[in-house]
Amino acid sequence: MLLHEIYPMKITASDIDDLSLGAVFLATGGGGDPYLPTLIAKETLAQTGGVTLIEAQSLNDDAFVVPVGCVGAPTVSLELLPSVDETSKVLDRYEELVGRRLTAVASFEIGGGNSLMPLMAAAARGLPVVDGDGMGRAFPEAQMMSYAIAGVKPTPAMAIDYAGNTAVFETSDTTTYEYHIRAFAAAAGGMITVAEHPMFGAQIKASVIPSTVSFSIKLGRLLREQRGPIDDVLPALRSLFAKSVYGSVHKIFAGKVSSKTTRTVGGYDMGDLSIEDFDDPQRVCSITIKNEYLVATVNEQPLAMVPDLIIIVDAETSTPINAERLHYGQRVAVIAVGAPSFYQTAEALAATEPRCFGIDMAYEALDTLLSGKP
Amino acid sequence: MRIGLDVGGTHTDAVLMDGSQVIAGVKATTTEDVTSGIEAALSSLLQGYSPSKVDLLTIGTTQFTNAVVERKQLSKVAAVRVCLPAGRGLMPRADWPQDLTEATDGGSYLIHGGHLYNGRPLSELRERELSELTQALSDTQPAAVVISCAFSPTQPEQEDQLTARLAESLPGVRVCASHDMGGLGLIERENASILNASLLDFADRVANALVESSKAFGLQCPVYVSQNDGTLIDLERVRQFPALTFASGPTNSIRGAWALTGLADAIVIDVGGTTSDIGVLKNGFPRQSNLVIDVGGARTNFRMPDVIAIGLGGGSLIGPDGRSFGPQSVARNLRQKALCFGGSEMTLTDVAISQGRLAIHDASQSKPVEAEVCHAVDSLIVKKLAAAVDLMKPGGALLPVILVGGGALLIPGDTLAGCPIVRPDNADVANAIGASIAQVSGEAEGLRVAGADSREIVIKKLTGIASERAVTAGASSATIKIVNVEEVDIPYMATETSLIRVSVVGDLARSEGASS
Repeated sequence: MLLHEIYPMKITASDIDDLSLGAVFLATGGGGDPYLPTLIAKETLAQTGGVTLIEAQSLNDDAFVVPVGCVGAPTVSLELLPSVDETSKVLDRYEELVGRRLTAVASFEIGGGNSLMPLMAAAARGLPVVDGDGMGRAFPEAQMMSYAIAGVKPTPAMAIDYAGNTAVFETSDTTTYEYHIRAFAAAAGGMITVAEHPMFGAQIKASVIPSTVSFSIKLGRLLREQRGPIDDVLPALRSLFAKSVYGSVHKIFAGKVSSKTTRTVGGYDMGDLSIEDFDDPQRVCSITIKNEYLVATVNEQPLAMVPDLIIIVDAETSTPINAERLHYGQRVAVIAVGAPSFYQTAEALAATEPRCFGIDMAYEALDTLLSGKP
Repeated sequence: MRIGLDVGGTHTDAVLMDGSQVIAGVKATTTEDVTSGIEAALSSLLQGYSPSKVDLLTIGTTQFTNAVVERKQLSKVAAVRVCLPAGRGLMPRADWPQDLTEATDGGSYLIHGGHLYNGRPLSELRERELSELTQALSDTQPAAVVISCAFSPTQPEQEDQLTARLAESLPGVRVCASHDMGGLGLIERENASILNASLLDFADRVANALVESSKAFGLQCPVYVSQNDGTLIDLERVRQFPALTFASGPTNSIRGAWALTGLADAIVIDVGGTTSDIGVLKNGFPRQSNLVIDVGGARTNFRMPDVIAIGLGGGSLIGPDGRSFGPQSVARNLRQKALCFGGSEMTLTDVAISQGRLAIHDASQSKPVEAEVCHAVDSLIVKKLAAAVDLMKPGGALLPVILVGGGALLIPGDTLAGCPIVRPDNADVANAIGASIAQVSGEAEGLRVAGADSREIVIKKLTGIASERAVTAGASSATIKIVNVEEVDIPYMATETSLIRVSVVGDLARSEGASS
């Protein structure tokens, strides 16, 4: 059952820390360090008095919506700082490009720092934001977005760099678009802001993963208020997710990180992680990483796989831990959450199952893999 | 001979060393003004020894960390960030605690300039902005100015030019370049530089006091201060970079453990009155943390030792039946409150005495702790420390565990998490011994973009810069060696890019070369 939200809903600077913590959980290990996006989002919302969140279903079929976010290397933005007005500028230029006024702004990705970009852009422009996103988590590539899967074209797309230089993209498909936008990011200082996958109201209603922005705030608030051992937090977590678009929540493993190997291949963080059971060191959970946690197996038996969400939390505080922050000896729990029903369809799985990440494994649903287990 | 001093929160320790031999060691109480505690330690240490035989005095001090934490002795600093048109709307000190901002705020400015990751200019400097800035600073007269340009750690020239130019137009104002204070991470580097700059006036007073004290004892030797990475800086450098001493406390115990055992790779546990600090020796130096370091509420990228603290010390209070202890501690009041000193609180010191591991000459044996409780507490100590050792040991390697600090005898047994325990002599003054090690360091970092320079060429170039820095800091160039090369890949880039950091260390040129 979905919890009925009361829309329009106001988001202010004081919600941002919770939203950002919830977004780290939903980032399933990826999404980068949310520090800078959090800082500028608080600044923007404090200056503008906040932003309004609306339900996708309330949009007219001919409403015009575009998702915005950042593309590039999070490490670069440690020096090339984001600007408070960069995301709103891309909207201005986008409207000029297409010759239409926007009705609302949407989000690509609720996992990580990109969850905050649309809020800033919309707040600066006085536009509402659609409660929802195009992933329900973090994914590394544009063709894995629900918008792309539902047949929305990525272009016309516009990218803007720190100096206000822009590039317009018209590509035949999302994979080509992804390739071109990465090249522009590298040429334009390493980090750019983009508006892409423009949609009419009817299209976003059919393709958005709904309510994930408001859900991320509630999730972050829960993790902050209930901070404590995972077994104590789990019941509250389960009841929160039961009232969401996500599937069921399971603690699939608890133990100590016994090895982690990562390397950067083709612009991605690739790696493997092993976690030893607290009580039985022979029982080992292995997790495959490509920016995000993709597949969890225990003694060769798969327990959870992409697009279902795999989250690693600190066993003592239940705080989610990004892949780059994990290291030997940490005491962690592995949590699996069923993907939203959109991602359980054949079309969505064809774009996001383990094979799409080069892992030779056909998708099996979390509930099937765990059936018969507590 | 040389003297090592360590000013901690509770004790000021001092050792007199001849080469690697400990000739004498004393513990004095740290005083509010610090100086009188140092003088008390020196006075008792030098009894029977001629000050003229001492050729080096080295000091580890927590005064600068405390100044930031307590918001005392801080001066006003103007922050000039050179990054526009990027970073619009995001001001320096944006997320600092209000009281720290108030204590240091000498104005904030954003101007055009800086570089990109690939070395191209982010924007040209604008003459008009610069003259307006100079005018504003000349009107407001902050004690110091910090200049931070985007990507200055890899492209320092512009920052150096601006620093020189402002220093010339603002007589009496200290102007600091951020790349002297840290690596990539503009906000963190700027924060570190502001904190450092706010301590410059206090650093002059501390350095002057140290010179006065050493003169008062007839010491004619140079005075050095230990810094975060476990090497030394001279008083001139302390006057410029007081923030480099922030982590010298835990660093000195780890370095002291190395000096006492000769073990270059090990886990070190420093057991104090309230907490135990667990760190790692790598190549004879503390392993550095890669995390962002919070100093007084400001996010910084200081290179500090990777240390975790757990609530286990001589004063830790024991719960019912010994099922729990700490983090509450009687701390400095051990001699009033612990059972063995006639008090009513059961502490870890009482258990160690009852178990016969620890003997304190004026402690009473009249109220021994029950054997069952002792047993429960001892297994809990082992359990907690084993988990911490497990967390710190690199990749599961079985390294020796060196126990140092005044509370080393609280820890029972010969192994922790499968690692053998080593208990060196003079472990109680390990931090002062760590402070007395006469080595200096240099560090440099840069980005390598695949297809441009080869990895070897980049490392060679960085080693050259780091070595020059070490020589400037006082190293004898013949003794310089690389202690660490770190390489971190930067993801999400079309062209493979990595960050390389090289650290070198050499013996202090003017000392007796008594490093090991």
